[in-house]
Amino acid sequence: MISIDKSAMNTNSVDLNNLSQEETALEIRNLDLKYGDKQALFDVSMKIPEKQVTAFIGPSGCGKSTLLRCINRMNDLVDNCHIGGEILLNGQNIYDKQVDVASLRRNVGMVFQRPNPFPKSIYENVVYGLRLQGVNNRRELDDAAEQSLRGAAIWDEVKDRLHDNAFGLSGGQQQRLVIARAIAIEPEVLLLDEPTSALDPISTLTIEELITELKSKYTVVIVTHNMQQAARVSDQTAFMYMGELVEYADTNTIFTTPRKRKTEDYITGRYG
Amino acid sequence: MENMNLSKHISGQFNAELDDIRNRVLAMGGLVERQLEQSLDALSTLDSELAQKVIDGDHKVNGMEVAIDEECTRIIAKRQPAASDLRLVLAISKTITDLERIGDACVKIAKAALDKRSKNQQPLLVSIENMGRHATRMLNATLDALARMDAEVALELHKEDIKLDKEYEGIIRQLMTYMMADPRSIPEVLDVLWAARAVERVGDRCQNICEYIIYYVKGKDVRHVSYEEMEKDLNF
Repeated sequence: MISIDKSAMNTNSVDLNNLSQEETALEIRNLDLKYGDKQALFDVSMKIPEKQVTAFIGPSGCGKSTLLRCINRMNDLVDNCHIGGEILLNGQNIYDKQVDVASLRRNVGMVFQRPNPFPKSIYENVVYGLRLQGVNNRRELDDAAEQSLRGAAIWDEVKDRLHDNAFGLSGGQQQRLVIARAIAIEPEVLLLDEPTSALDPISTLTIEELITELKSKYTVVIVTHNMQQAARVSDQTAFMYMGELVEYADTNTIFTTPRKRKTEDYITGRYG
Repeated sequence: MENMNLSKHISGQFNAELDDIRNRVLAMGGLVERQLEQSLDALSTLDSELAQKVIDGDHKVNGMEVAIDEECTRIIAKRQPAASDLRLVLAISKTITDLERIGDACVKIAKAALDKRSKNQQPLLVSIENMGRHATRMLNATLDALARMDAEVALELHKEDIKLDKEYEGIIRQLMTYMMADPRSIPEVLDVLWAARAVERVGDRCQNICEYIIYYVKGKDVRHVSYEEMEKDLNF
């Protein structure tokens, strides 16, 4: 038998079971969530590693978007929503009473399924968050706008029309603009809720490429219906089913040799 | 392949496509098995007609390899299979390569038979019949394990190749004695050597197929791994 050097084969995946404090961006502990009487999340616990892309997949209604929205407390806006358990960001439970939700959301940006630029110019869209924070220095705003638009891979397309209305952009461009707006305030974590489901295939690829670049600076958590997208962009994949976290492992494992039967059935299209 | 007992895909067409390549690889295996038996028969009886039949039959094996490979490519492009489906397609794509090479080994054996016949020679200096029968049994059992996707049997068969290798070494030793005793026997010794080598390679190819079976069932790549590690990996 010839022995082979396996170190040459593997990727940059981390060991999810032995993630140190420094490597962990977010830790979800025993999270339960109820909308009224209906329980939507059951005892979800997971560690999301820093500066990596983590994808949540699962059938409609499995709780993946709900879980994502918990991370920046979007569910606070829902009446009758009760949450148990903890989500730790930098060791601090974001559901603690003293946590200021506005500052939490500065640290945890979110991008939605449909691009939602404000009815303002491209420039104003990007610097909106900074203005809210009280930044008014023109130079500072200009620099931040350029940097964010470059970071979102849209600078070259809009640099000559920064003061045009954002609605003049295509869907894919609008989505990248929204991402630029989210990263302008330099969050630690970026939540993407099906960011490409309203986009054409080429725009989708641009966004996917962008996600891979974003992880050098941010921790990215993405919910997607497109399993191949999860396979393409993410480092870790969590499969959810009926409010439970069924399997959470590095993406290579999930898509080649998942451990749980349910995961296998779902990703091979046998679910149901 | 039924013992994985997976439920059906939502897409019936996808199911049909996977079933199709499964059936075709088994059909190809059956054909190669027959080629091997006939080539060994042809060699032991110096039946030139049978040998020619084997040589002519090889294009069928080649054709099947190409057709199944095309189908695998199509499935990957259209369906983007994942997990066990992906492993199945990959295992089949690799299996057919090894089956095709076994087909080539059969042609080599058949050609040796034709050659002997045309030179009006006696049958082989040293009989490879036993070894040939052993290889045929091994191929037969491997195809069986493939049909049932039985990883445990595959592991046993994988070890079986050691015995075939021993038989091959035995034949080499005998041939060495002939060569040392009388260098004029070397041309005839070489005939046996090539044929025995071809049979020995059949065992290696079966071993490869067993590795693909284990890969499909257990999701573990057991190439270049010791048996202790293999068994530990597979929890047998």
